[in-house]
Amino acid sequence: MKTRLPDHGPVEAPRFWRTLEERVETPEARQAAHDEFLPGAVPAYDDVHGLPPQSGVSRRDFLGLVSAAAALAATVGCDRKGQGTVVPYTKRPVEVTPGVANYYASAFQEGRRVYPVLVKTREGRPIHLTGNDEHPGVRGKTSPRAMADVLRLYDPDRLRAPKAEGRTIGWTEAEARLHGSLQAAKATGKPVLLLSGAVASPTRKALLADLKAALPTLEHLAYEPAAGDAAEEAARVSYGQSVAIQPRLAKAKVILSLGADFLNGEDPETLAAWGAQRRLKSAKEPINRLWVLEGPLTLTGTNADHRYPVAPSRLAALAFTLARELAAKGLPLPAGANLSALPGGAPADVPTQAWANLVKDLQHAGRNAVVLCGAQMPAAAHQAAHLLNAMLGSEAMALSPAEPLATTRDLEAAVQGMAAGRYAAAIFWDVNPAFTYARATAWKDAVAKVPLRAWIGLMEDETAAQCQLVLPENHWLESWGDYATPGATVLQQPTVGTLYDTRQGEDVLLGLLKALGAAPAADYHAYLRARWEKAGLQGGTFEQALHDGLVKTDAKPTAPAFRGASVASAERAAKGAEGFELVLFPGFAPHDGRHANNSWLQETPDPISKMTWDNPVAVSVQDAQALGIQEGDFVTLTLEGTTLRLPAVIQPGQAKGVLALALGYGRTTGGVAKGVGANAYPFLGLDPTTANVRQGARLAKAGGRKELSRTQSHHRMEGRDIVRSLTMDEFLHHPQGHHHQPELVTLYEEQKFPDHKWGMVIDLAACVGCSACVVACQSENNVPVVGPEQVAKGREMHWIRIDRYYEGELENPKVVHQPMLCQHCDSAPCENVCPVNATNHSPDGLNQMAYNRCVGTRYCANNCPYKVRRFNFLEYTAYKTEPETLAYNPEVTVRPRGVMEKCSFCVQRINDVKIRAKGEGRSILDGEVTTACMAGCPSDAIVFGDLKDPESRIAQLVTATRAYRVLEEVGAKPAITYLADLKNPVEGGHHAN
Amino acid sequence: MRTDASVHAVPIPEGLLEPALTVGKVTPGSLDDQVLAFPETKPPKQWYLALAVTLTALGIGLACIGYTFTTGIGAWGNSSPVFWAFDIINFVFWVGIGHAGTLISAILFLFRKRWRNAIARFAEAMTIFAVMCAVIFPLIHVGRPWLAYWLFPYPNERALWTNFRSPLLWDVFAVNTYFSVSLMFWYLGLIPDIASMRDRTTSKLRKTIYTVLALGWRGAASHWQHYEKAYLLLAGLATGLVLSVHSVVSFDFATSVVPGWHMTIFPPYFVAGAIFAGFSMVVIVLVVVRETMQLKNLITMRHLDVMNKVILAMSCIMGYSYMMEGFTAWYSMNEYLHHGFMNIITGTYGWAGWITISCNIFIPQLLWFKKCRSSYFWMILVAIGVTIGMWFERFVIIVISLHQDYLPSAWRIYKPTMVDFGILLGTFGLFFTLVLIFARVLPVIATTEVKAILPDAQPSHGGSHE
Amino acid sequence: MADADRKPLLDRAAALLAGPFLLGRQALSLAFPSDRETPEAPALALQRIPVTPPEHAIKRRG
Repeated sequence: MKTRLPDHGPVEAPRFWRTLEERVETPEARQAAHDEFLPGAVPAYDDVHGLPPQSGVSRRDFLGLVSAAAALAATVGCDRKGQGTVVPYTKRPVEVTPGVANYYASAFQEGRRVYPVLVKTREGRPIHLTGNDEHPGVRGKTSPRAMADVLRLYDPDRLRAPKAEGRTIGWTEAEARLHGSLQAAKATGKPVLLLSGAVASPTRKALLADLKAALPTLEHLAYEPAAGDAAEEAARVSYGQSVAIQPRLAKAKVILSLGADFLNGEDPETLAAWGAQRRLKSAKEPINRLWVLEGPLTLTGTNADHRYPVAPSRLAALAFTLARELAAKGLPLPAGANLSALPGGAPADVPTQAWANLVKDLQHAGRNAVVLCGAQMPAAAHQAAHLLNAMLGSEAMALSPAEPLATTRDLEAAVQGMAAGRYAAAIFWDVNPAFTYARATAWKDAVAKVPLRAWIGLMEDETAAQCQLVLPENHWLESWGDYATPGATVLQQPTVGTLYDTRQGEDVLLGLLKALGAAPAADYHAYLRARWEKAGLQGGTFEQALHDGLVKTDAKPTAPAFRGASVASAERAAKGAEGFELVLFPGFAPHDGRHANNSWLQETPDPISKMTWDNPVAVSVQDAQALGIQEGDFVTLTLEGTTLRLPAVIQPGQAKGVLALALGYGRTTGGVAKGVGANAYPFLGLDPTTANVRQGARLAKAGGRKELSRTQSHHRMEGRDIVRSLTMDEFLHHPQGHHHQPELVTLYEEQKFPDHKWGMVIDLAACVGCSACVVACQSENNVPVVGPEQVAKGREMHWIRIDRYYEGELENPKVVHQPMLCQHCDSAPCENVCPVNATNHSPDGLNQMAYNRCVGTRYCANNCPYKVRRFNFLEYTAYKTEPETLAYNPEVTVRPRGVMEKCSFCVQRINDVKIRAKGEGRSILDGEVTTACMAGCPSDAIVFGDLKDPESRIAQLVTATRAYRVLEEVGAKPAITYLADLKNPVEGGHHAN
Repeated sequence: MRTDASVHAVPIPEGLLEPALTVGKVTPGSLDDQVLAFPETKPPKQWYLALAVTLTALGIGLACIGYTFTTGIGAWGNSSPVFWAFDIINFVFWVGIGHAGTLISAILFLFRKRWRNAIARFAEAMTIFAVMCAVIFPLIHVGRPWLAYWLFPYPNERALWTNFRSPLLWDVFAVNTYFSVSLMFWYLGLIPDIASMRDRTTSKLRKTIYTVLALGWRGAASHWQHYEKAYLLLAGLATGLVLSVHSVVSFDFATSVVPGWHMTIFPPYFVAGAIFAGFSMVVIVLVVVRETMQLKNLITMRHLDVMNKVILAMSCIMGYSYMMEGFTAWYSMNEYLHHGFMNIITGTYGWAGWITISCNIFIPQLLWFKKCRSSYFWMILVAIGVTIGMWFERFVIIVISLHQDYLPSAWRIYKPTMVDFGILLGTFGLFFTLVLIFARVLPVIATTEVKAILPDAQPSHGGSHE
Repeated sequence: MADADRKPLLDRAAALLAGPFLLGRQALSLAFPSDRETPEAPALALQRIPVTPPEHAIKRRG
């Protein structure tokens, strides 16, 4: 283009000329005539870049640049949704360092149970919970529902300001109204009803006592619909007071469960002890043995060594017969127990040989045996269990006095009182009786007769809708409190400032106290602190107690003495009516209904049925066959005039003639909870001795079928070697069984791992299938929730799932659980098929996903033998706004639509430890890196670590005799090793299946 | 003028004489008039009616694709573990259909099967259109279609590169190469015909378009020389591709670890299946074209007979392949493979398995009978059956294998949605829209090639040169 | 040539289209003033939920 003219000689005058300048031959004109383009037509790149003038940009380069520019412009032009600006703090809050997590000790209460927790906060936001590791009981573990409750803090349905008659008001007006009517009540001497949840806090108890002193007409009822009225009733008979029974499984050699689901994840302490027992330290130390007699199949039942389906109404009779036989074998029968009324002979529900084994087992174990009874079982069964424990002198449980709870009988009295216009005011605090009380209409009519109805709670529920004054409460992560637990008094402290204009319930009561003329502390924090400094600190400081989250106590509560058991109650319970026996139990996800608005929990599959977002009625295999019911068929369930149309599932292992239905579903309020499942509370009985086990239910096909939102639709292993389960006998004699190690030959070079090789061991003997790991992972890794329709299609997003298989006869199958997550295979089939290298292997053995690079061909998921890859079929995250987004873990990318995702072995945690270790100039310690599932596993079934470190725990575990890898024959070389499940049935006896 | 050789040649026995490839009196001139006239005449009403139908189908397909783009792959029935379903079934189905054309035009050309000349053009066009339908799916089936270009290895500032170990990437190259070579081959063959049309047309617009498309073809001897050489070379190139493209497509499955996919028989089995499906589709379209465009004298029953024989042969290969699949499942003693095979014949989707086997193996056996090979009714019945059967074969391979693989806990039934069907319908709409347009704007028969096989063009053929 | 000449051209074209539109809108709003005040967009600070550290709490570590 632009080249210099040759210097030699003058040029001939042009014969033709374009311009006058050219004609007169100015130098510019000569140059112009020579150049291909006129000046300005082409940018003078050479001037800009200082290149030699001859090296103009070639036509090819030019075209290349133009097309590249066009392509780039097109790419740059693509705007992406949700791009925000990152703004630094203008004023950094105290104690908040961006990028650094803060941990606070606090505590969560659910019913009578208290969970001391450690709360991880990032930039001031609580995002993840684990158990408080300082607590002697829970030792760093907690329950799935406790972990998921962090989501409730950010529930968009949370009430943000007080309301009166549906209109938003300020606290001043709200308090004025509340105080006014209560002052009037005090003046007139009319009773005031206060209905709250269980009181497990000494300071709250003291506050209530203060309030009672200031307002003598106050009637307080502590009401827990899921606690089990029958247990309460039985305790009053057997011990003359309410008791809390804490199993001490470390001391138990033989456990008999009468419908007790003590392994359901609610009790981390018991699960830890169970895991420790089952993990098999050495072959010489035999593991415990669990006998289960139960109607519906529970998680505990699936972990039994011997399990027999027995209708719950028969449990008492069975247990009393057991007591008689043990007495006949010489165990002392305590005073007050007379078993002579019992009919003789072994019960028909259990095979004779097994029955004899059970009797022998219990007799031999003696003090090391324990009988546990399910909270929902009839009171008579509880009484029989108390009697058996007294006879055995069981040391495998701790009995302690507990605050009494109101039963349906007390509630019925309150309803009658309200209906009679007895109360001047009623305060409902953290309770939802409009939903949980069995006679909802009677409740509604009665409540309407109370002049002032105030409600204190987190989210407007069915009860709030019946109240004039609706007072928003702090989430527990924004509140103060304390709890008495065995071994320690636990402190609850806020981990975040209140997000909205809310107050904690105790502060409302304190305000009331002031209005009634008392002079308490300024706020509940001061009240609590004053009380602690006076009595509870055991020499330490309050700050230290807050730091630890607890103060350890040595004081052991005196166990109440056994007073006796009434065999007559067993007779009454055993008298079966026509029709089905309906067992009502708190749902795994919603509990009594309080967690129904928690989408994490709703989408966590029920550990047995693998149902999400619904509570179908569980029908036994035999009954389903007789009635011609298929899975998902709609049925009508009728009991005493109440009829419900709901889908049915066929539950293997459920006793014939028994139906099981979860409570807590069918809420009518809440963005998530509304319309999920059917409300089973109307079926609840008013007789507290057998409120949850009802006779005379009728079941009929209603026509139509529901697509069940179930995460597992095939329940048998098809004879494949997926979950290995050995009996102790098999383990001692043929630990490998008939399995042989496949010979893996490869043409390729083995992958090298220079520094670390991360791996995991999952002990199936310790894993009970409680699903705590699922919730822990969901919280840690921002796993999206997809909803029931998507789950029904198989699009749930959990990075870890628990596979549950039935083996053997359907009427009473053997059940195994297997946590299944990305196996981080050394020669991962997913990696070589990704066309864009979005999934690849890290040098420390992680199978990693680069979400940004993923195009979404889904080839990797097809080629994954374990089917642990999850695809964002729809946009699950982009439309989320505050407050929901505040629950995200900022260390984990939120995945958009069209991207594959899966377990990362919590790579963010690995890197966090790596960076810390590097900063301190040391190597990573064994056990320092914990994945969320491992940290959340209450029975310590999951061990994560470095396989390159020969000293590490995991390196030793992978060589255990029980060790095997799932689908090893595929040749993917998974980094997860499973240890075969162990069952400990009586040798030569009748096995559980 | 007769050459000496032909004078002294021993007369070829009547039975060995190749029968005439055209019926009745066909001269180069009449051929031009017959074939090149279509673009000049106004299409009949039926054509517009057919176009309206296909465009409606295409519109529905486009709407469904648009819905998928805005919603996500969740609009389809795909789920875990069936991560691929209609998307890849349709892709393989259409790539398969796209096999006949190049096979006819390239391989049969190299084998000097002169009967191919009359149908090569149409079959080739169908190839192009089928591959166009096929390539839609890899583009729309990815989770983030706006990033689908990442599948191409292009230099970029992030230093990211594609994974050449992935069969999906091989697919990208195989299909692209196949499409571009087929397109070139087709276009090359079209040039002399387009030049003829340029010379014949009176419309100014057409003249301009054909002039550009004819690339200055004047029919000079040097042009013909280059043309023949290029045609031969491209035929050679395309031949390899006919075999390679579906082999590579089969690698998507064969190199995976999914039981039912991981089979060494897949490449030849896929190629045979593709020829099978492609020929059936060609038969369907040819019968319609032959009847509606009055081309009976050029596309003779003999053509259809030969095509049907190929279909029959392929059906037998398919039968063998299916049996080998069963044999492998049994002989390997691989429980997963065994389970997968039993699923095909007895599982939830057993009906799909039996549709496949019936349509692909049993029904085509009718073609052993000359009567069926020369009857429209039977050959269309078989061809439609094969088209359905081959679609279901891919359903069997993809959905049945995926829905129950290794871990029973992950097993799940797959159900397609209306969007899935809409997109499938849309591709049929696209295919037939293109076929209809092609039939009206370009010569459906390669006149230059047919001229070469006219009786007059055959020096060795007695009679017409008298 | 390209950018120097084209850029103002595009700008002019944009102004040509946008100018009358904006002016027209302004004129219309003068002729027909809207009845009620358009609600002011909530301040940015109110859209965000304030996250504050807890008072009096003692952290374990961090």
